[in-house]
Amino acid sequence: MSENKKKILEMLAQGKISADEAYRLLSACGEGGPEKSSRAEPDTRVKPKYLRVTVTPNANDERTHPERVNVRIPMSLVRAGIKLTALIPPEALDKANRALKEKGINFDVRDIKPDDLEGIIEALGDMEIDVDGSHGEKVKVFVE
Amino acid sequence: MNWPPMLMHVKIKNEKKNFGIWLPLFLLFPLALVVLLVFSPLILIGIMVLLMLGQERWVEWGLRCLWAAIVSSWALRGLQVDVEGRNGLVQVNIV
Repeated sequence: MSENKKKILEMLAQGKISADEAYRLLSACGEGGPEKSSRAEPDTRVKPKYLRVTVTPNANDERTHPERVNVRIPMSLVRAGIKLTALIPPEALDKANRALKEKGINFDVRDIKPDDLEGIIEALGDMEIDVDGSHGEKVKVFVE
Repeated sequence: MNWPPMLMHVKIKNEKKNFGIWLPLFLLFPLALVVLLVFSPLILIGIMVLLMLGQERWVEWGLRCLWAAIVSSWALRGLQVDVEGRNGLVQVNIV
């Protein structure tokens, strides 16, 4: 979400502008900014080649927990991995679904179809996950 | 076209030793082919027995697994794993 859109929504939440005004402003933002960027997208967006997972220790806690991890997984391996889900027996998929539900994630693993693969991989390009661990370590998942 | 992995570099470093080795993965492909050719009569007999026993799903599953193993090993090129801990460093790099 762009900074302008965020500001508009904040102003709406604070009651500084009405819903109609917010709608008009948001439409104006939609016509201006994002369209320009989507036009520039095909030139700038590079197909992701690797999925990277890094774990870096907290600078203050580096002596007690100095573990550092850097994993680079080729996208071709991710593709192959998703295709391998076809080999998982249905009973195991049911178990996985149940375990996910127990954790509060309502997702059916069977929904991952090889046909959706390219879409998922493209969407990964916009994703970056940052997690702060219990010992202050930072976990980052992103594509490059 | 995706090229198969050619070399694997494994490096282990700690206070006592500093060890690194390059493994020529490209030499494994002809070896795997030879093993497959040697064992192909046995594999064929196994498939025929399973088909006669009406266990087609195991044949299908086995062939799918074989294909998956080939595809996954082919896609390993570019994999890099670095783990650094209190006791040392382990690096695996496939090129």
